[in-house]
Amino acid sequence: MAGSLHRSVEEGEAVKAGYCLKRLQLIEIFLMTAIYVGFSQIVNSAERHPDPDGCFSCHALEGLDYIDKHGVLRSASIDKKHYYSSLHGSVPCKDCHRKIRNYPHAVENVEVNCAESCHVEEPSEGEPYSHKYVVKEYESSVHGEGWSKGLTGGNRLKEANQAADPSCRYCHSNELYIGEAELPKFKASFDHLDSECGSCHQGEVWLGQFGGHILRRFIGSRWDKNDHNRMCNKCHADHQRMAEVELENAETREKEKAGPRFILASDSYATTLHGRLLETEVMQGASCIDCHAPTGFRHGVLRDENSKASTHADNLAETCAQSGCHGYATHPLNHRFVKTDIHDIDMIPAVNDIAPRDPSRLESSWIKALIALLPIVVVLGIGSLLWHFRGNKKRGVTYAVFGGDAFQEKMIGRKPKAKIKKHTSQNSVVEKQAADNEAHEN
Amino acid sequence: MKMIARIKAIPNGQKYRYTLIMASCTLFFSPFLFLPGLVDNPDLCGKVCIRRFYLFFPGITPADVASKMQVASIGVYILSMILITTFFFGRMWCGYICPVGGFPELISRTFSDRWKIEYRALPQVPIRYGYFSVYIALMPMLGISACTLCNFITIPRIFDALSGNPKGLAFALSAVGLVNLALLFLLGFFATKGRAYCQLLCPIGAIDGLVNRLGAKLRFTRRIRVERNRCTGCNICARSCMTGSIQMVGRVAVVDQLSCMSCHECVDVCDWGAIDWRSAPLDKDPKRKKKGIDFYPQPQWQAVYTAALRKGKR
Repeated sequence: MAGSLHRSVEEGEAVKAGYCLKRLQLIEIFLMTAIYVGFSQIVNSAERHPDPDGCFSCHALEGLDYIDKHGVLRSASIDKKHYYSSLHGSVPCKDCHRKIRNYPHAVENVEVNCAESCHVEEPSEGEPYSHKYVVKEYESSVHGEGWSKGLTGGNRLKEANQAADPSCRYCHSNELYIGEAELPKFKASFDHLDSECGSCHQGEVWLGQFGGHILRRFIGSRWDKNDHNRMCNKCHADHQRMAEVELENAETREKEKAGPRFILASDSYATTLHGRLLETEVMQGASCIDCHAPTGFRHGVLRDENSKASTHADNLAETCAQSGCHGYATHPLNHRFVKTDIHDIDMIPAVNDIAPRDPSRLESSWIKALIALLPIVVVLGIGSLLWHFRGNKKRGVTYAVFGGDAFQEKMIGRKPKAKIKKHTSQNSVVEKQAADNEAHEN
Repeated sequence: MKMIARIKAIPNGQKYRYTLIMASCTLFFSPFLFLPGLVDNPDLCGKVCIRRFYLFFPGITPADVASKMQVASIGVYILSMILITTFFFGRMWCGYICPVGGFPELISRTFSDRWKIEYRALPQVPIRYGYFSVYIALMPMLGISACTLCNFITIPRIFDALSGNPKGLAFALSAVGLVNLALLFLLGFFATKGRAYCQLLCPIGAIDGLVNRLGAKLRFTRRIRVERNRCTGCNICARSCMTGSIQMVGRVAVVDQLSCMSCHECVDVCDWGAIDWRSAPLDKDPKRKKKGIDFYPQPQWQAVYTAALRKGKR
């Protein structure tokens, strides 16, 4: 009995202990939930709209993959943090993805037309803001030629790897346009919102959404010249990709593969003072678009042959003289200065694997100069080597092979040894002749 | 052993000078890049450049000049330091520090003068200032980039290439780089004493030479000066002068202050103490008098060969 009672007491304690454990677990779960809820509150506080269309209920899931019509595995997952930190982070999804009406939606309906008027109403005109002017300028540029993909660029993989002309998205991608590393740049811009914009535009909604959005639109102006160059170099420094580009020949109007000058444009720019200054963070150097698209929305890059191009021979002086760079470039006596070669292919290795071997490179005056100078270097080099091993060095002071005599005559003021010898030998010949003459006469 | 004997035969002053040049090659060039590294520059170009900000263009405004000086702000500072030093002490930068001029000199001095080109007898002053005016006014106007013929690009790139920097190798293999390399051989390694580029083409040297000449007239400045009474006309100074600034005129050494770099070699080789790097004593009157008789004349240290000297007056 006592044993069983004892056991029951033990069992009771065990059960008690079990309850305690369960209670502890409950408390733990409660605490975990509380921490999670608290944490998620902190995370959610970074969200800039409440996701009114409920898109994130699916798209925030990880591993939301599908196979597209090209048979490529695509990810439809959206990294919330990434999205909220992007330019359009304050814009609800359906503001742009307007074709999506039902759920689930067709893949094709995802496309967005950036040229459409958008949700931000410009206060001065009362009209919705539109990208169409930028798009118009861009479409007439060299990058917009033969463009048939629409603004969103269609297949992202195809766009990144194959296309010669980039879409809007290719340059204005989140990574480059608003990288997370760039975010601190904005933080300072937001600081004055309350005091300045906030004096008229009151209310959390404006400040949280539109104020931030408008400020973010000016990110381009906060880009420094190196940021611009990085954007251009994303394609133009890729030699293989540039070798694929076909350009229209100005004379024959036929499409031809780009030459070494085009393929190596990024490298030759890097050797110029413009490139070198920017490389060392001296912002007075000119970036790619400072010369190639200095006006308008800075999207209208044109080929040099185009008379509207900022780099056309007739417009170069104006381009160089802009924004306090080379103000004197418009002076008529400097008409050759503006033709200084900024993409000088002679600064790039004459033989390399990244560019086709173009025979025109051999016509360079530098190559001609080299052909003239090289034999002299070789002769002097061989002569020096021979002299080092076999030369007669026991003759006192050694004078140079070229110009040594002139040095002795002009600088030291004495006749060179060779001339003295010659002189004496000539004298002796004359004396001999005189002696012979005398002998004959006798 | 021969090598050691040859090194021992170098005058002490010159040994120090060579050591300084080697040290500045280490400080200025790859792989260490100590000094350009202080201002985050990978070479001697861009903000460190001391050769571009004074280029002249027709129609240039003071604002343009100011902006050019702002771009090369460190270069402006360096050049002013060089010129101030030159005014008081002679061309210390060119002779003792400049790694771009010093490196070819050191290489050239390591082998015999026999198979070299002697540029020292050329009329170097007209050539230098002729090229200088072309460099400063004509080349920019014609759109010839001043950088393409600059040895401040070439020599650092060679060091880059030797330290395994692909950028350096890429330049050395380009058409411009190869021509510059050939010029480095012809005007440096294969030039007697290796200073032909400094003598004939260097724009910094040209400005520095003008300042040197300007200060030489003054008695308190340190220059290479000749005591004409002591000169025996042995011409060893003229033969050893690396810039060809000493010419024997009437069997007396005469220094061309537009070209002299105050390298001191002439002083080291002169057995008679007839040439020295010094200021001229300010008092012209002889002091060494005994009982009113001038028994030993006060030395007259001449820096400039004046018209009066040419006429035979001393």
